Amino acid sequence: MLLQGRWFDGLSSKARPVMVALQPTPQGPSLVLHPVSQPGAGPTVFTWKQVGWPEAWNENRPPPRVVVDLRDHGSVEIDAVADWRAALAAAGERPGLAQRMQTRWPVLLGVTVAAAIGLTLFYRYGTPWAATQLTRFVPIGWETSVAENVLQQMDDGTLKPSKLPPARQAQLKARFDALAQQTPAAPHRYPSYRPPLSLEFRSGMGANAFALPGGKIVMTDGIVKAAADKGLPDDALVGVLAHEIGHVVHRHTTRMVVEQGVLNVGLGLALGDVSGIVSTGASVLTGLAYSRSHEREADCYAIALMRHAALPTAPMGRLLLAIAHDEEEEEDAQKKKKTAQGTPQAAEAAASTASAPAPRSKGQARKEAEAHPVWSLLSSHPETVRRARELEQGHAPHCS
Amino acid sequence: MSQQQPSAGAGGPMSTFMPLNIDAHPLEFTGSGGEYFRVWIVNVLLSIVTLGIYTPWARRRTAQYFYGHTLVAGSPLEFTAQQRKMVMGFVLLMLITIAYQLAVNTGQDTAVGLFLLSGALLAPYIWASAMRFRLGATRWRGLRLQFTASWKEVYIASWPVFALALVWFCVFFGMQMLSPDLAQVLEAAEEEGAKRTLPSFTPAMGGLLALGLVLTVLCFIRLEYNYKSLLVLRAQVGAERGRWKPVYMDFVKVWLATVAVFILCVLGVIASISILAGSSIALLAASSDRLGFWMFVVIFVAIIGGMFLLFLASAPARAYREARMFQLLWNNTGLSHVARFKCHLRSGRYVGLRLKNMLFTLLTLGLYRPFARVSEYRMKLESVTLHVKGGVDQVAGAMVRHQQGGLGDALADAAGLDLIG
Repeated sequence: MLLQGRWFDGLSSKARPVMVALQPTPQGPSLVLHPVSQPGAGPTVFTWKQVGWPEAWNENRPPPRVVVDLRDHGSVEIDAVADWRAALAAAGERPGLAQRMQTRWPVLLGVTVAAAIGLTLFYRYGTPWAATQLTRFVPIGWETSVAENVLQQMDDGTLKPSKLPPARQAQLKARFDALAQQTPAAPHRYPSYRPPLSLEFRSGMGANAFALPGGKIVMTDGIVKAAADKGLPDDALVGVLAHEIGHVVHRHTTRMVVEQGVLNVGLGLALGDVSGIVSTGASVLTGLAYSRSHEREADCYAIALMRHAALPTAPMGRLLLAIAHDEEEEEDAQKKKKTAQGTPQAAEAAASTASAPAPRSKGQARKEAEAHPVWSLLSSHPETVRRARELEQGHAPHCS
Repeated sequence: MSQQQPSAGAGGPMSTFMPLNIDAHPLEFTGSGGEYFRVWIVNVLLSIVTLGIYTPWARRRTAQYFYGHTLVAGSPLEFTAQQRKMVMGFVLLMLITIAYQLAVNTGQDTAVGLFLLSGALLAPYIWASAMRFRLGATRWRGLRLQFTASWKEVYIASWPVFALALVWFCVFFGMQMLSPDLAQVLEAAEEEGAKRTLPSFTPAMGGLLALGLVLTVLCFIRLEYNYKSLLVLRAQVGAERGRWKPVYMDFVKVWLATVAVFILCVLGVIASISILAGSSIALLAASSDRLGFWMFVVIFVAIIGGMFLLFLASAPARAYREARMFQLLWNNTGLSHVARFKCHLRSGRYVGLRLKNMLFTLLTLGLYRPFARVSEYRMKLESVTLHVKGGVDQVAGAMVRHQQGGLGDALADAAGLDLIG
């Protein structure tokens, strides 16, 4: 089939009438240009590779004309777009995936499904796995220097020196050292990773404890006081420390840095063109999911370590529940105070948690619940309640 | 027929001896929002599946869709960039980004500083590469567009960037001269990083700061003017060069009008907020039961809403500026003595369209974006008419330099210079 076309030779804007034919070849259709105006001039053949083939955007509503790119030989305009498509198909064109998605609904649907599944699998398993592997190459020196920086910043900001009596500190440190001695030598994820574990005390940030990469664990006066107020034995605090040791030996902070990096870059590229809200939202939600899985992992580690040391985990579970409960009451009280003063303290609280990347708060979600009974705790902190129950039983279904 | 030589400079109009008839060709866009949505969703899906590596292919498809549906005097534009070069540029850019992120995340301040400094010094280069790539990849009736500015010209046109650095250097030291306390406070802040009360702020310091800000704005406008004029004057279609008429004051006027629009919008927003806030507080005071909780909700909503409204308030001004700038450029540029453009874009309508698109895009979490893009592109493009003297087939080709690499495009993409629009 011969198609009428206008050939521009790339040397001037003047059009020359040509006839265009497509011939099937093993690589794909080749294009033959027959000059019309110059009798005697022979046809020029362009192979599949020598032509920039225009994509078909819409089978039902073709554009008024297409331009075929002949690279250094200029370009050809063709008005009969439907005939051009038919000739291409007849000459054995094999459209690429993008083109098939563009013009065929089933292909688009199939790729959509594949994309959804692939995305889920990648971010559910791929990224954490890659982060785990990459973390093997991170030297402990980097971790400790990061930890020092972070702790310095927090000391300048929200944290104050501990007001616990030195005797009490020494007592807890002794328990901690005894626990650190008991850490199983059994190979876990990073067998050669043995950071020096140390415990420090600070006040501020409510009832909390957090692990810094490189082995430093910080406990606040608030959590020691909370355990004493509830009449819980020191085993509760030791359990919390075991949980934090879990964060250290699983190198959660470093893994989180890698995971968050992959998330921001990957989701930014994939979803950034949809909108910033979607890509940031997806990245935040996935980050939260990773953080939850880290908490579970640290809990499992704590349960195993406490069992190994022949210590109960139930007090720790009760402490967790009590702190979440207190936090909720405190939030209620704060809300009342806020109305009296009219200052947005929520922003301040948010800033203080944001400036401290490492801490892992016991009751993470700060939601606005109104009433006090336990069922409200259950609705606003389901994760905490479930974790506390697992710790009280000393066994969790997800721990291997 | 194609033997006319272009005038050497972009100087005054050349009188042609023979009266030639002038044809008007309104530019036309033959694509549609629905079609482009399909193009876009395919790109998004393939980007997801390939973890973002599809980006250079996606950029090429998008450009080809828009170019292929843009009819200039009946002939579509062609986007002929080589895919291989675009991919190489993308890979190179990704490597640079990864190196930079590594430097930031491992706290290597020297490396980060070097990156930022070379980025600033290379900014004119990046801009010029992007323009070279963009024009070089565009073809119309077989003729390639070209951006022929030399690197020297580009850096000379970039003088406002360096003037800007000088201005802020002077402001900084002038401040310290005017107020010795400030220097001390700065030193103290460096040592402790803690908040301190600022020293007394004298009118002289205020004046200096204001002067600095005004000069900054003037520098930015000058930079935009320099770049736009260089782009048009050094653009070539075949052997024909671009013509440029606007002067610097035209740009300043557009900017002043934009500021006026912005102030009006902000005043409007403030008025509506105060009415809303006043009524809601009155409503709450009436029902003092559970006041605390609701007060919290109101404050929260007010902060979020306020930020959102500020964003909204700047939107009309941004759209207005874009429309005015588009009119200015397309009413005052041409191609040597062969072609002139005329633009009848209406600023009000364009602002309205942009606001509508923004609202729909927010409501659909971004899914409306392709439709928005097509409608804005169409309104701008179809407002332009090309007036050609002596027919469209008279333009002679010129020696085209070797085609540009794709790094310019990738860098431009990273810098937020969009291929379409």
